[in-house]
Amino acid sequence: MTRYILGRFAQALGVLWAAYTVTFAVLYLLPSDPIALQLGAAGIETDKLTPAELHTAKARFGLDRPILEQYFSDLWGFLRGDLGESIAKQQSVASLIGDRLAPTLSLSLAAAVVALLAGTALAYLASYVRWRPARLVLTRLPSFGASFPQFFIALVLIQFLSFNLGLLPATGIRGWKSLVMPTITISILVASQLAAVLMRSFDDTLSQPYIVTARAKGLSRAAVQWHHGLRNALLPATTILGVLVGLTVTSSIIAETVFSRNGIGKLAQEAVLAQDVPVVLAIVTLAAAIFVVVNLVVDLLYPLLDPRIVQGQRKEVTI
Amino acid sequence: MSRRGIAATALAVTAALGLTACGSSDDEGGANTTAAEPVAGGTLKVAFFPDNPQFTCLDPFQTYWIEHRTVIRNVADSLTDQDPKTGEIKPWLAKSWEVSADGKEYTFHLRDGVTFSDGTKLDAAAVKANFDGAQGVVKETGGTAYGASYILGLDHSEVVDPLTVKVVFSAPNSSFLQASSTTNLAIISPDSYKKTAKERCLGQYVGSGAFTLESYKPNELTVLQKRPGYTWGSALSKNTGEAHLDRVEFSYVAEDSVRTGNLVSGAIDISWPRSPITVEDRELIKKSGGVIESRSLPGVASAYYPNASAGHVLSDLKVRQALYKGIDLATYAKTSFGDDYPVVGGAFDNTTPFYASQASKLAYDPDGAIKLLEEAGWKPGEGGYRYKDGKRLTIVFPTSSLSVSSELIQDQLKKVGIELKLDVHPPAELPALYKNGAYDLASSYFTRADPGALQFLLDPKYANSKALATNAAAPETTAKIQALFAKARETTDDAVRKQAYADLQALLIDEGVVFPQYERVQFAGVSKDVHGFAFTSESFLKLNDVWKQQ
Repeated sequence: MTRYILGRFAQALGVLWAAYTVTFAVLYLLPSDPIALQLGAAGIETDKLTPAELHTAKARFGLDRPILEQYFSDLWGFLRGDLGESIAKQQSVASLIGDRLAPTLSLSLAAAVVALLAGTALAYLASYVRWRPARLVLTRLPSFGASFPQFFIALVLIQFLSFNLGLLPATGIRGWKSLVMPTITISILVASQLAAVLMRSFDDTLSQPYIVTARAKGLSRAAVQWHHGLRNALLPATTILGVLVGLTVTSSIIAETVFSRNGIGKLAQEAVLAQDVPVVLAIVTLAAAIFVVVNLVVDLLYPLLDPRIVQGQRKEVTI
Repeated sequence: MSRRGIAATALAVTAALGLTACGSSDDEGGANTTAAEPVAGGTLKVAFFPDNPQFTCLDPFQTYWIEHRTVIRNVADSLTDQDPKTGEIKPWLAKSWEVSADGKEYTFHLRDGVTFSDGTKLDAAAVKANFDGAQGVVKETGGTAYGASYILGLDHSEVVDPLTVKVVFSAPNSSFLQASSTTNLAIISPDSYKKTAKERCLGQYVGSGAFTLESYKPNELTVLQKRPGYTWGSALSKNTGEAHLDRVEFSYVAEDSVRTGNLVSGAIDISWPRSPITVEDRELIKKSGGVIESRSLPGVASAYYPNASAGHVLSDLKVRQALYKGIDLATYAKTSFGDDYPVVGGAFDNTTPFYASQASKLAYDPDGAIKLLEEAGWKPGEGGYRYKDGKRLTIVFPTSSLSVSSELIQDQLKKVGIELKLDVHPPAELPALYKNGAYDLASSYFTRADPGALQFLLDPKYANSKALATNAAAPETTAKIQALFAKARETTDDAVRKQAYADLQALLIDEGVVFPQYERVQFAGVSKDVHGFAFTSESFLKLNDVWKQQ
C-alpha cells in the first residue's frame, strides 16, 4: 500500500512539472512578444522605441533575460513558492491568486457537491423507475442538460431570478446569495455528465449475476439497488470525478464572466489575452495541482470501494 | 498673449466652428431637472465595462482606460478645466496663467487654501513634484508611459513663489494648456510620488478631489468617499463645494445585457458601457423611467489608416478616393448603432475642439467609386470583384474580432468591386503585423479633447506606432501633415491653430490618409432617481453635481 501511495505521489509531481514546462514552452513559442503586447495596450508599438528604451521596458518585466535562464529561474522561484510578478496587474502573482482563489474554490466546491448529489440522484431514480415514459424522460435528461450552453442558462437565470423576481443579486461576490445562480449554471452540465455515466453503470451493475442472486434471496428491488447496486455502480463514476472537478473549474470562466465574479477563471482568461506569462503559468500549474490532487484522492479511494485494485497492484509488485 | 486674450479667442474660435455637444438630453442638469433642491447623502452605484485586462492602473499619469480616467477625474483635480460646450480652458487649481510669447513657458498662479486629502498643502512645490514625477516615469518606462505625449517637449518646472509655478518647454507645445486640464496631468500629493509607479497604479496616491479613493479592487469594486471640506470645485460645475453623494461604488460587469438589467431592476444607478447601448436596451431603460445620456468622445474618431506604401493597392490615390465613395457611413452608423447616431465627419469626433466637418467629401457615391476604379485600371472580373494584371482588388484588414459592422463595410465595398479581407488574428499578433506592414488598413482611435492627439498616430516623429504613421501617406504628404501639426503646436495664436487644424482635416481626407469609420459615442444609462448627471469635456463622468433621490 505504501509503495502504491508513493508511486502515485511521484507520478503527481511529474505531471505538475510537465504541465509547467509545456505551458512555459507554449507561451514563449507564441508569435507575439509579451513586451510588444504590453506596450501595444498603451497604444505604443516597439518600433517607436530606441533599442535602449526597449531594453529598459523589457527589463521592467524581466523579459530581457535569455529564455532558458528565465525558465530555470522561474521554475526555481516556483519551487520556493515565489510565483513572480504579473506583467499586467502590477501585483505579485501570489497575492493575485490569493485574492481570486476563494470565490472560485467556493463556487467549484458548491457546484461539485450539488452536481454530485443531483447527478447521483437522477441516475439512481432513472434506474429505479419502472414506468417506461418516466424512465424515458429521466434517461434523456442528461443529454438535454449537457447540450444547453452555460452562457444561456446563466442569462435565463439572471433574467428570472434577478431582474423579474428580484430574489438574487445578478452580479458580484457578496454573501451566499450571489453563489446560487453560478452554482446552478455550472452544476447542470457537470451533473448531466455524471448522471450519464452513472446510468450506464447502474444498468451494467444491475444485470450482474450477484444482483439476481440478491433478488432471489428475497431482497426488495429498493434494497438491492441501495446495498448492492450503488457502491459497485459508483466505481466508474469515481474515475471521471477528477475530470468533472476540472470541468467545474473551466466552467467557472463562463460563470464568472456572466455573473461578474472576480475569480481564477476570469483571471485566467484575462491573463491569456494579455499574454501575462507569470499569471498564466501559475494558474495552469495550480489547475494541474488541483487535478492531480483530486485524481490522487480518487486513486486512494479505489481500494476502499473495490479492494481488488490494491490486491492486483500487490501481485504485480511481488512478481 | 494674456490668458484672457487666449480665452477670448478660444471662445470665438469654438463658436465659429460650431462645436457641437452631442447630448440626448437638452438640459445640462441631466435626468429630471424638474426636481428642485439637491439632496445630500446616499451611495451611487455605477457599473462599468470590465477593468483593463492589459494594464491594471489607476495612476493619473500612466493610465489611458476611459473608466480609470473617470474615477481619477473625481478624486484628483487638475490645474485647469475644459468647458465641454466650447472646448475653452477654464481656471481650476490655477486661478490664472500666462503663456510666454514664444510659447515655451507656462506660468500658473495657484488658488490658495487647497489641500490634498492627506492634509498636505497643494502649492507650487507640489505641482513641481508632479511634473518631476511624470518626467521620472517617462524615463523609467523608456518613454512608454501613456502620459508622455501630454508633456511632449517638457524641459523642467520651477517654483516661482509658493503659489506660482512655471513650466518650461524646450519647444513650444500649444496642446499643453489643454493637457493641464486632463486627468493625465491631474495633481496628486508629492508623497504619492515617493511610492513606486506600480503602487500608484493600485491606487496608492491622494489627490485634492471632491472624493477620496477608499479602495480599488481591480475589476471588482472601486469605492469613493466624499471629501469633507472640499471648496475648490471648478466653476464648470454648479456645485463647487462638497459632493452631494456620500459614497460612490464602481463595479465591473462584462455582459451588456446584465448591466442594463441591473439598471432596470434598480440594483445600480448608472450603467456605463464601452460600446454604445443597443437600441433595444435603450428602449428598456427608457421604459423603466431612466434616461439615456450620450456624448461623443473627443479626439481621434474610430478610423482606418491605410498602408499607402509602394506595392500596396492603396498606394494609388484613386483607389483611396474610391474607398471613401464606396463606404456608406450614414447607413453604417444607423445599422450598427441606431437611427439617431451621429455620422462621423472626418478624422476627429465632433466634440473635439477645432473640429471641421469633411462630411461632404465623405458622401456615399458608388457610381463615383466605380468610375475612379475604372480610371485606375481595375476592371470587373470573376466573382463581382475588380482585377488589374490578373490580380484581384483586395484590401487586407487585420482585426482581432469579426463583427457585423465590419462585415457591413465588406458588403458595401463588394458592391463597387473591392474585396475587403477581414484577417482575424489574436490581439497579441496585431502589433507584429502592423510593424511588418502586412496590412492595407489598420484601425485606431485616441481619446483626448485636443486635435494634437492625432500627431501621436500620424506624425512618424512622435507616433506611437512608427510603421502605421509612416505607411499612412506618401513621404511628401507626411511632410505636409508634419508641417501643419508643427504650425499648430508652435503658435500661441488660436486663429493660427484653427487654420492649421482646418487645413489638416481637409488634407487628411483629400489625400486619403484617414478613413473615418464611426463617431465614438460614450453612452450612459441613468436611473430616474439620479440627478445632475454631467460629462466632462473628454466625456468622462463628473460627479460634483450628482445627487440621488432618497
